[in-house]
Amino acid sequence: MQLDLDRMRDKIKASQWALADIDWDAPGRELVTNDPDLYPKLKAFMADLMWIEHVGARGFAAMAKKTPNDTLREIYTYFHAEEQRHANAEMALMQRWGMLDGEGLPEPNINIRLVVEWLDAYADDMPLSVLGSVIPMLEIALDGALCKFLLETVKDPVCHAAFEKINADEARHLGVDFHVLEMLGHSPVYRQTLQMAGKLIDPRLLIGILAYLPLLNRMRDNLVELGLKEERLYEAIRKYRRVGGTPGGLRNPWFQLISRHGGWMVNRRNRLYHVPVDALVRLTGRIPPRLLPQVPSWVHELTWKPTA
Amino acid sequence: MRCPTSGILSRQREREQKNPMNPTMTTSPQARRNARPQDPSVLHTYETLIVGAGFAGLGSAIRLRQAGIRDIVILERGHAVGGTWRDNQYPGAACDIPSNLYSYSFAQNPDWSRAYSGSREILSYVEGLVRQYELAPLIRFGQDVIELSFDKASRRWLAKTAAGQTYGARTVVMAQGPLSNASFPDMPGIGSYQGHKIHSARWDHGYDFAGKRVAVIGTGASAIQIIPELVKQAGFVKVFQRTPGWVLPRPDYGTPNWMRALFRRAPAAQAALRQALYAAHESMATGLIWRTPASRMLEQVASLHLRSQVPDTWMRRQLTPDYRIGCKRVLVSNDYYPALRQPNAKLITWPIATLSPRGIRTVEGVEHQADCIVFATGFDVSKTGTPFPIHGLGGRLLSEDWQRGAQAYRSVSVAGYPNLFFTFGPNSGPGHNSALVYMESQIDYIVQGVRLVIEQDLKWLDVQEGAQQRYNAAIQRRLAGTNWNSGCKSWYLTEDGFNGSMYPGFATQYRLQMHRLPQGDYSLVR
Repeated sequence: MQLDLDRMRDKIKASQWALADIDWDAPGRELVTNDPDLYPKLKAFMADLMWIEHVGARGFAAMAKKTPNDTLREIYTYFHAEEQRHANAEMALMQRWGMLDGEGLPEPNINIRLVVEWLDAYADDMPLSVLGSVIPMLEIALDGALCKFLLETVKDPVCHAAFEKINADEARHLGVDFHVLEMLGHSPVYRQTLQMAGKLIDPRLLIGILAYLPLLNRMRDNLVELGLKEERLYEAIRKYRRVGGTPGGLRNPWFQLISRHGGWMVNRRNRLYHVPVDALVRLTGRIPPRLLPQVPSWVHELTWKPTA
Repeated sequence: MRCPTSGILSRQREREQKNPMNPTMTTSPQARRNARPQDPSVLHTYETLIVGAGFAGLGSAIRLRQAGIRDIVILERGHAVGGTWRDNQYPGAACDIPSNLYSYSFAQNPDWSRAYSGSREILSYVEGLVRQYELAPLIRFGQDVIELSFDKASRRWLAKTAAGQTYGARTVVMAQGPLSNASFPDMPGIGSYQGHKIHSARWDHGYDFAGKRVAVIGTGASAIQIIPELVKQAGFVKVFQRTPGWVLPRPDYGTPNWMRALFRRAPAAQAALRQALYAAHESMATGLIWRTPASRMLEQVASLHLRSQVPDTWMRRQLTPDYRIGCKRVLVSNDYYPALRQPNAKLITWPIATLSPRGIRTVEGVEHQADCIVFATGFDVSKTGTPFPIHGLGGRLLSEDWQRGAQAYRSVSVAGYPNLFFTFGPNSGPGHNSALVYMESQIDYIVQGVRLVIEQDLKWLDVQEGAQQRYNAAIQRRLAGTNWNSGCKSWYLTEDGFNGSMYPGFATQYRLQMHRLPQGDYSLVR
């Protein structure tokens, strides 16, 4: 997938929107609030979704520091802010639906919380090859797929208005994500492989992998709990391999690893993978919140308020 | 220091008054509006015309008169002297070079109140130069030069002003200043914003910030001085940053009385301090201009400065540059970071999407409403053009010659533009030392050129094209290895990345090259 990055940057700049562009008080909130079955599940789902966006935002912030290309750096700076905007918009929906407890942030699940901690500590130390390969997976599998599920479940027109804008942004994000994935595979394979082998023994990355694996399974469990078919998530994960499998992408060993992992993830019968990862999900679920450090200050940038 | 005699000044005034076409006679605004272009044949031809009455213009006038050039006119578009220090009177405005170095060596001031004086005190110093050297009679205020043309037949420059007047001069010194023009940036939605707008270089002293929500756009040299003052006054201050700068601590102190007394009684002591400051700044060049272990050390100092003042890791990340120190202008401040941490201040690093009627919309989707926006967005630095059309020999236009980047010989002369001398011309900018050190060298070089033209009654003195090309090829070769050309975007570079602003070397090197005007590189036409 080849993109003209300068044109893409201009398009991104020309496609900006703000929370104030949406009428958060428009009719339709009762379509959610009057559904006692949906409401509690949706509340947890929205919190997860909002946090996934926020995690994506932090990932783009790290990528902006890594890229040697000025245009791409500017694009990633915008994507960082846009993911934050998505999180803010989703938080505004939660506010509309009365899902926020006072002024406080919704609590993320423990696996998102661990990923937030990892991102805060180590994301800036990761090379672009790692970040540029894993972020598209998070975007396509979690962010993109979850948004689709939401729209199929929730009938509130304001939610649809917000996600029309969010999805338009996400389409541009994915375009750039896969363009970079392709670019990353252009250096000699032996060099990429050696660099990957070196990175895979970096304990910081290993901790990141340990945080990432249970996150996917946790999100799958949450979807099932919401009454959605997990197959939809698997479709999105397969899409990563399909879209990213360009000549450049296939030469990128990180892509190969992440897409192969996607294959393990979507195969419930792969007990070799799912038994230990599900155990990790259960194990992490037992971590007492008090043992976790204070959330990083960038988390407090989240807001549902259109004006400040 | 020699001062011109009042007799000479009287003669000059007398000469101007006798000439009915003398531009200075049309003083009323109505008369200026009605003024028709004068007949150049009857214009008085000054020996030297200086554009601008800031530091460079006044310094040039002083040194020219000391060298015996008497018939000088200074055209100043404003109504007061001081240039950038007259215009930049925002709260907290100060120079980031110690005053003992940011002043003329031939006009030392023993009474600086601080190591780094504020803009008012610097302006007072400039005004003091006018008094001390009796420059007022030379200055024509309200004369905004709009065109400069060399008339080969009469071998003089003709300067047209917006007031409809024309001045003639054998030689011209361009001292309009590189940081003299400022305008609101071309940002989306800027026309829609309905609150109060202030540009840092055109401060609105009548605006009351008390209790107001203020947005500051920019975090450069002006902004980091304004912000601490605004945080003290305003209700809430939001600082919109695009790129952080490297900030070094500022070793500022109030000058003790004994020191002032010492400097008054023993000027040599002040000269010695100036030399020490000069040497200290020269040593900074090794880290700021080129990538050396000293650069890393300076970055460490800046990082420690940040760490000591900002405990939050994310905020430190936001404030840490991702380019080499020196690539952009290095900032010095002790109170910028603490100001950002005040409860009524907030640093915002989201890109600005647009300005709206009530504030600033950033890309994270939030509209930051503000009663007032302060644009600390810098100056309109002319990197490829000139502030007004300059026509040289054969009608050539300087802005066309400089289309691909400004070039000059030793930053002062441009081939095809005879008897024209630039202060702060191409590749004369320092990144580590006082601009006035460079300026003094330029002025002394210009004095040699002007004297050559006047004393030898040359038709013109024009630098040779080849000499200029060789000089610039060498400069650009040297610039390629500097921090300025290491990849960041700065006002030093054109959009194409051409560096026509900075001098790639020590101030001492620059001074040495400016020590003597090499006549062999010039055409002396008699």
